[in-house]
Amino acid sequence: MDVSQLKIRQLREMLDKKEISAAELADEYIKRIKEYDKKLESYITVTEEIAKEQAKAAQERINSGSSSALTGIPIAIKDNICTEGVKTTCASKMLENFVPPYNATVIEKLYSENIVMLGKTSMDEFAMGGSTQTSAFAKTKNPYDLNRVPGGSSGGSAACVSAGLAPAALGSDTGGSIRQPAAFCGVTGLKPTYGRVSRYGLVAFASSLDQIGPIARDAHDCALVLNAISGCDSRDGTSSRLAAENFAAKIGMPVKGMKIAVPKEFYADGIDAVVRDSVLSAAQKYKEMGAEIVECSMPSLKYAVAAYYLISSAEASSNLSRYDGIKYGHRSSKGDSYSELVCNSRSEGFGEEVKRRILLGNYALSSGYYDAYYGKAMALKQKIRAEYEEIFKLCDVILTPTAPSVAYGINENVTDPVKMYQADICTVTVNIASLPAISTTCGYDSKGMPIGMSIIGKHFDEATIIQVADAFEKNFEIIPPRIV
Amino acid sequence: MDLDMVSYLAKLSKLNFTEDELKKAAADMTSIIDIMDTIKEVDIVYNPLADNKNMYLKDLREDIAKDSMETEKILQNAKHSDNCFVVPKVVE
Repeated sequence: MDVSQLKIRQLREMLDKKEISAAELADEYIKRIKEYDKKLESYITVTEEIAKEQAKAAQERINSGSSSALTGIPIAIKDNICTEGVKTTCASKMLENFVPPYNATVIEKLYSENIVMLGKTSMDEFAMGGSTQTSAFAKTKNPYDLNRVPGGSSGGSAACVSAGLAPAALGSDTGGSIRQPAAFCGVTGLKPTYGRVSRYGLVAFASSLDQIGPIARDAHDCALVLNAISGCDSRDGTSSRLAAENFAAKIGMPVKGMKIAVPKEFYADGIDAVVRDSVLSAAQKYKEMGAEIVECSMPSLKYAVAAYYLISSAEASSNLSRYDGIKYGHRSSKGDSYSELVCNSRSEGFGEEVKRRILLGNYALSSGYYDAYYGKAMALKQKIRAEYEEIFKLCDVILTPTAPSVAYGINENVTDPVKMYQADICTVTVNIASLPAISTTCGYDSKGMPIGMSIIGKHFDEATIIQVADAFEKNFEIIPPRIV
Repeated sequence: MDLDMVSYLAKLSKLNFTEDELKKAAADMTSIIDIMDTIKEVDIVYNPLADNKNMYLKDLREDIAKDSMETEKILQNAKHSDNCFVVPKVVE
């Protein structure tokens, strides 16, 4: 049976109708992982034994007639989300042998639905990057062209869904790390509103921006995963007290009469023509469905990358100060004093990009530079939020490209940090403003590489962006990657 | 950014760099700071009072003692332990 392009809803039906057992389904994916992942390198750890055990428990629940939306559904997990008893490396030598003593809240929630965990997916080290090429263990390739990057930092999660090595995966998004790889790999990725999903057990990068979200084959499947992982958690003081809701509730409702804004700065120089044309042609399709396209402006977009890198690196330098090699993580064999041991452990454990961010963060926070950099970046954060508020007075959702280009060649940008940072221009403002956004495929370039568009919503209005993405997806034909 | 500044940041960051690594880091940081400097042209000031509207401090948990994680679990990832974390001698 070819499960590679099946959606969660189809798998649900097959499981409930007993056309396939949870164990058989898990086995199909494990077989595909064994066959294709040597080339793709989307997983760091494959949890075959756990998947078999969980499939048994899921089958019992299915047999008892009490299955929920995700019971028996195989899911892959980004390797910065803590899984008790299963290595969680953050793709860093620093955490190469780290086995969490507890589960993240999202994992507890997925386990309570009796999902089947397939494994832990590769990523940029500590989620810092947009290519998955800074991973210390698995430099994931793009399923549409193995010579290109899958995007990042959740590149393993996006690539494994795209290649049919999982029907869905969890990623995390600090500045675009769910949406950009989803766009590069031709799948759908949702970054929820900050606070919608508990961050307890997500290895911290930039705590005011990080958010866990789903990557799946379409917006409807993303809604089903979000339904399972969202909700208030007393262990995360920033998790929202808003009641959980059904994020699939608006699916199928017409977009007629809806106002969709296109901020001109997102379509300016620096965005490849093929991407711009494809997203604007999607806007035209929405117009044909009866939506109104509203032109607008976000003047501060040109400062967004700087503000984002200052804030996120400042927070990262503080968050990563916990890695001392003593309580957990890589411990150097050299160092006679406490201080030497800590310096040696950190220097051996962290990769180049992580060190760069720590340096930048400490620069932004250091005496004499704080107001000029961190303080100004925080002021810009408020300005960008205010500009979004103004735009949302005119519209229901905002439509932008997800990335300035399609997936680029391995080693093309990855050695130039400035180029890498500037490529985040389309995604970072969403995190800065704590908004929800979904990326879905809106076209392919002449070489068949997927192009992604993002639909940005008002705070806690995930249901509407899912509805809008779904309306487009229903009239769009996905071309599966060549690897399958 | 000069080598002295990068050395200072490396010290703050508790990271060791070889001389060649320091030179590369200084070059990288110089081009990164060039982008960061663009924000200096914006004339705005951060208002901390406007933030944190969504913090739920009034919903803090009751201060109730609960069992903590078992010592064995806490130490499971420490490379050197003896029913506690073991560090190099810090007092002569």
